[in-house]
Amino acid sequence: MASPTSLRILPLAEFKPAAASRAWVSIPNPNGLPLIATATSDKTVRVYSLRNFALHSKLEGGHSRSVRSAAWKPAVKNTGILSIATGSFDATMGIWRRRESRFADSEEKEIHAEQAGDDDAFEVEITSDGAAKPAPRIQNDDSDTDDEWEFAIVLEGHDSEVKNVAYSPSGQWLASCSRDKSIWIWEEIGDEGDDEFETIAVLQEHTADVKCVSWRKDDGNGEVLASGSYDDTIRFFKGDDEGEWSCIALLEGHEGTVWSLDWEPEISQKMFDSEPETSESASAEKDYSPRIPRLISASADCTIRVWTKVPSPPPPNKPSYFNSGIPSTMRPAPSNETWECTATLPKAHDLPIYSVSWSKKSGRVVSTGGDGKIVIYEERTKGRTKVGGEIEREWVIVGTLAGGHGPYEINHVIWCTRFDSGKAEGGEEMIVTTGDDGAVRAWALKQDPIVPLPEGGSAS
Amino acid sequence: MGLDNANPIILSASELPSHRERRTKKEASSKQYVVRDLLTGPSYASDPFMADSDTDSDDSNVEPIDEQEIYDLIAPISDPEHPLSLESLGVVKLQDCHLISPPDLTNPSALSRVLVELTPTVSHCSLATVIGLGVRVRLEQALPPSYRVEVKIKKDTHSQAEEVNKQLADKERVAAALENDNLMSILRNMMKPCLE
Repeated sequence: MASPTSLRILPLAEFKPAAASRAWVSIPNPNGLPLIATATSDKTVRVYSLRNFALHSKLEGGHSRSVRSAAWKPAVKNTGILSIATGSFDATMGIWRRRESRFADSEEKEIHAEQAGDDDAFEVEITSDGAAKPAPRIQNDDSDTDDEWEFAIVLEGHDSEVKNVAYSPSGQWLASCSRDKSIWIWEEIGDEGDDEFETIAVLQEHTADVKCVSWRKDDGNGEVLASGSYDDTIRFFKGDDEGEWSCIALLEGHEGTVWSLDWEPEISQKMFDSEPETSESASAEKDYSPRIPRLISASADCTIRVWTKVPSPPPPNKPSYFNSGIPSTMRPAPSNETWECTATLPKAHDLPIYSVSWSKKSGRVVSTGGDGKIVIYEERTKGRTKVGGEIEREWVIVGTLAGGHGPYEINHVIWCTRFDSGKAEGGEEMIVTTGDDGAVRAWALKQDPIVPLPEGGSAS
Repeated sequence: MGLDNANPIILSASELPSHRERRTKKEASSKQYVVRDLLTGPSYASDPFMADSDTDSDDSNVEPIDEQEIYDLIAPISDPEHPLSLESLGVVKLQDCHLISPPDLTNPSALSRVLVELTPTVSHCSLATVIGLGVRVRLEQALPPSYRVEVKIKKDTHSQAEEVNKQLADKERVAAALENDNLMSILRNMMKPCLE
C-alpha cells in the first residue's frame, strides 16, 4: 500500500451564489454528471455545476420549512431525466424531476475546453472564486431548452421533521428517517414518471430521532440499511425473501447522538488484500467473509468509530423435523448479526462531529463538525505486534484544516469527483463542505513535498 | 394549563448583580437581531473563505466580551410562565455564566466557548427546555459567530436535566424548533424585555 502522506487541504473554489442562511448538506450526482445538490434552510435545494462551481438550477416552492436532505436517484443509464428526493422539516418528502438533455452532447466540447486550459488559467479561477461576490458564470447558452425542476410528488407519512433521505444503490428503494423515531422504506412502482410510490416498511425500533440512514451495496445478500439515532445507537435493517423488513443488528457504544454513517468502499476492502491470511479466505466460499464492508460512524460524543461484523457461528445442527414442511411465512426472521467497534479514529474534534465520508477512490476518511475543522484520516498497516499474529492496522491523521468556513460550523463533508478544468487527472477527488454560513466549498488536496522522512520501510 | 410554580421566589433588585452601563455598538445592533433574524438566522456578510480578505478595521477598539456581558444579554429574558425576568427568578446567575476565550483573539476562526447553567425554579419545571432554548437563541444571535454556546441545567436542580441538556445541545432540534410558529411566538414574548 501507499506510505502515509501528509496532506494539505487547499481552498479550491466556492460555489456561487451561496445561500443566505444555513446550508445543511451537499450531495454529488451518483450517475457521473457534474452536478451537486445542496439542501438549505431557505426551503430550497441548489444544484451547482461541478465544472464551474456556478448555480445550475434550483428546486423551490415545494417545502414550507428547511430542506434538510437531498438524494439523487441512481440511474442505470442516462435517460435524460434528473430526479432528486428531498426531506424537509415540514415532515414531507418531495420527488423532483427535470429534463436534462444537454449533458450527452455537451460532454465532448467540455473535454476539449479542459485540454486547452492550463495551470495559469486555473490560478485565475481560484482567485476569482475567492473574491467577494463575482457574478455567477454564464450558464451554457442552451439552458433555456431544459424544463425547470418539477415538484412531481409529495410523500407524506412522517409525523415530524424528516432528517435524512437516501436511495439504495440499486435505486429500488428510498429510505427516510425522522424525529418521529421511524424509518420508512419507499418503493417507486410502475414506470418512471408514473409518480406512484408505495410504503414497503415502517421501522420503529429506535427510541428517539433517527438522524441518518445509509445503504450498503448489495453484495449478493441484498441491500442493507444502516441508521444512526439520537438514542446513541446504530441499527441495520434488511428485507427478507418475502419482503418483510426487520432489524438485524444493533450497534451500541457511542455516548452521544450518531450524526453520520458511511460504508467502507471497495478500494479500502482491497487495500489489504495482499495479506496472506485474507487472500486465503477470499477464495474460500464461506457464509461470512472479512469482505463484508465495515461501517464508519460519527457522533456528538466527538468520536468516529469503525464497526466490523463478527463472524457468525456455523448454523446449529437442528433436528431434521425442525426444517421440514414449515411454510415460508413461519421461518424465523433474518438472523441477527453481531457487529463490534474495531477501531476508533484518532481524536481531532472537540465539538459534535456532524459528518464523515469514506473515499471510494483513496480509501481515506474525512470528517467535520461543530468545531469547523476538516480532518483527513488514512488507515495503514502497522505490522505484527507479536510473532505469527495478525497484521494490525491503524488510523492516522494525514491532514487537518481549522476554520474551514471561518467561525461557522460545518454541517457536512463529502468526497467528490472533480470536473473543473483545473483537475490534474481524470477521477481526481476533492472535498466539498457545507456550512452554517450557507456556503458550499470545494477543497483540493496537495501532498506535502517538504517531509522526506529519513527512516524508511516501517510502513510496508 | 396550570402553572408549574405558582409562587416563585423573586429576588429584589438590590440582590442582583449590577448591570454595567457600557453598551457597545455590537450590543445595540444585536437587539435588532431578535426581531429581524429570529426566523431567518444569522446573515453575516463577511466571507472567511480567503483568510486574508476582509478584517474588521475597528477590531482593536472593541473590548472583549466577558461573563458580565453574557449575563446582561440573557438576564432580562422573561419567564414564559410569569411576567418576570430570568434574573429576578434566579434562573440565570452571573456565577453560572462561563466563558473560555481562545488565546489568540485576532484569529477570526478561533472559537470561544460559552457555558450557561440554568437553575429552574422548581425541579420538575416543564418549561425548562423552552427557557433553555430562549437563552441559547438569544446568545447565538447576539454573540459573534465564533462563539459556541452551550446551555445546561445546573446539576441537581432538575429531575430530567440530562434529557433537557441533550435537547438543548442538538443543533438540528434547535433549528427545527425555530421554524415552529407556536414556539416562536413564545420565544418572541420572552425576548421582548431584551429590546426595551
